[in-house]
Amino acid sequence: MNKLQGGIAAVAATVVLGFASMAAAEETILVSMKGPGAGNPFWAAVERGAEEKGAELGVNVVVLAPPSESDVAAQIAQVEDQLAKGVSGIVLAPTDPNALAPVVDEAIADGVPVVFVDTKGSNAGVTYIGTDNQVGAALAAEHICANVAAGSDVAILQGIVTQSTGKARADGSNAGLTACGLNIVAEQTGEWDRAKGLAVMENIITGNPNLAAVFASNDNMGLGAIEALKNADMLDQVFVVGFDANPDAAASVLAGEMSATVAQNPYNMGAIGVESVLTLIGGGSLPPIIDTGTVLVTMENAEAFK
Amino acid sequence: MSRDPVGTEPEFEDTDPLRVRLMPFLDRYGILIVIIVMCVVMWALQPDVFFSWRNITNIFKQTAANGMLSIGMFLVILTAGIDLSVGSVLALGMMTLAVSSASGVPWPVVLVLSPLVGLAAGFVNGVGITKLRMPHPFIMTLGMLFMARGLANLISGGVPYSGLPDPVRFLGSARILLGEIDGTRFNLPVVFIFTVAVYLIFWVLLEHTAFGRRVYAIGGNPQAARVSGINVDRTLIIVYSICGFMAGIAGLIMAGRTNSGFPNAGLGMELEAIAAVIIGGASFFGGRGQVLGIFGGVLIMGLIRNGLNLNDVSSFWQQILIGAIIVLAVFIDVLRRDLGTRH
Repeated sequence: MNKLQGGIAAVAATVVLGFASMAAAEETILVSMKGPGAGNPFWAAVERGAEEKGAELGVNVVVLAPPSESDVAAQIAQVEDQLAKGVSGIVLAPTDPNALAPVVDEAIADGVPVVFVDTKGSNAGVTYIGTDNQVGAALAAEHICANVAAGSDVAILQGIVTQSTGKARADGSNAGLTACGLNIVAEQTGEWDRAKGLAVMENIITGNPNLAAVFASNDNMGLGAIEALKNADMLDQVFVVGFDANPDAAASVLAGEMSATVAQNPYNMGAIGVESVLTLIGGGSLPPIIDTGTVLVTMENAEAFK
Repeated sequence: MSRDPVGTEPEFEDTDPLRVRLMPFLDRYGILIVIIVMCVVMWALQPDVFFSWRNITNIFKQTAANGMLSIGMFLVILTAGIDLSVGSVLALGMMTLAVSSASGVPWPVVLVLSPLVGLAAGFVNGVGITKLRMPHPFIMTLGMLFMARGLANLISGGVPYSGLPDPVRFLGSARILLGEIDGTRFNLPVVFIFTVAVYLIFWVLLEHTAFGRRVYAIGGNPQAARVSGINVDRTLIIVYSICGFMAGIAGLIMAGRTNSGFPNAGLGMELEAIAAVIIGGASFFGGRGQVLGIFGGVLIMGLIRNGLNLNDVSSFWQQILIGAIIVLAVFIDVLRRDLGTRH
């Protein structure tokens, strides 16, 4: 019976919105990220790239993200609300490509061009700007080839291969390791998870005591694998290469445990994303995929990723 | 349009005529005033956008799933219970729907799967709470939160399924073209009409049926309800079944809206539903609250999100503001009760 209770409180909250009003600019580009830049260096770099490119090109860049990468509904709502507001273009890193597909279709139907960054969407004909994971995994494989004897036993910890990223990293590493004549004894999934990576690695080393190297499709599994190798006193003999160059992995590389990891270039994703969507707004066209590049992170350059 | 609930409402013996006349009015319609004030503030911040047809329909599209969860949750909270499983049950319904659709089940079956799965999960909750004599609904529904989420991931392998037939998407994504003025199309989302209809049904159910009176009575005083001949267990099982059923409906809506079933659907939505119910003026101790208030609570949460999105504010603010509103809302209620009882 107390309708008042939600009342005054909500009014107070609404007034807080006052500080948020912003000036309108000619062209406004929405950059909708999977997760907030605060607390995640990856998204912070995407945000910085987008904003600096926007300032350079003289367009207004609005960066929004749901509170967490699992909040799909919040991201859909943000895109819808910004469409209603009238943005000129959208740079989207979809939390879930399938779930975001209808709102991307809606934008395109309204004449608002969209590009995907980081994660490829499921809408046909929309350019994807991000890491070519196959190339990145091949880079990791090349590094393994250069550091272990030909013909050695190696293993691959796969991500979830039903996802495009997981599949590309699995394929790229397999092709690279096979090409230089290494003997792939195991290819198993750790589902991107540290604990599962650890458990899978335990099983692999039990069956393959002569293992010389492992490629983990992400750093979490790589760090899990390192735990398994430490417990089995095998870390000295096994060369571990991860992917993502997250701060934990960079620290591990510096500590001499993980041999190397592969870094994506999130700054480029933001910058090229904004630039590309402006190309579309101007009536230009884009290739279906734009690679933002990968770099190998070793003892020499790991400090920058901590 | 509302009935006094059983036992918990403080009496106003105050003799100040203005307050005596004003308080019941504010109690009943205060939330509408709040919504109007919020709308005015948002309109002032975004005059070109906020009252645009598209933005208004967006708000209803975005709040529909929470609206379904909240009205089911309201029923449960009226009985002084809680259902923590609704977000997971939403996901289970949605994934069952998406997986069966992908494996070629005909659409009329797919259409009813999510609500039926929800109903079943709610029924299990109800039976667990009453017949297995769980010490508190928190326990049973917390268990269901994990079981339903796990089951949803199990049947889908934790991966999204997309591409649903149009009839299945109808509720969540269809629009009725009302007309076209100066090239602007005015579409009414089907889900808006549906939401209004559902809330009307719940209003009738709670205000004008014997079942509704039993629900309020159980929340007001379960012992008295039992003594007066109400079959408390049976009523509770029905209440939790309805709550689960509504979660299944929310799953159907969200599946239609996103044209897919995705593993993270509904994550944390049980808390959003609880928040909407509390902001909407229901008492956590049961027996008190109105359907109109819940509608307002859902709308307030949707308006905050929409307002922040339109003003390009970080989503962290949404969390902070909604949290602050919950605390403030209940605190204002505490103050109000003090005023009502002290002389």
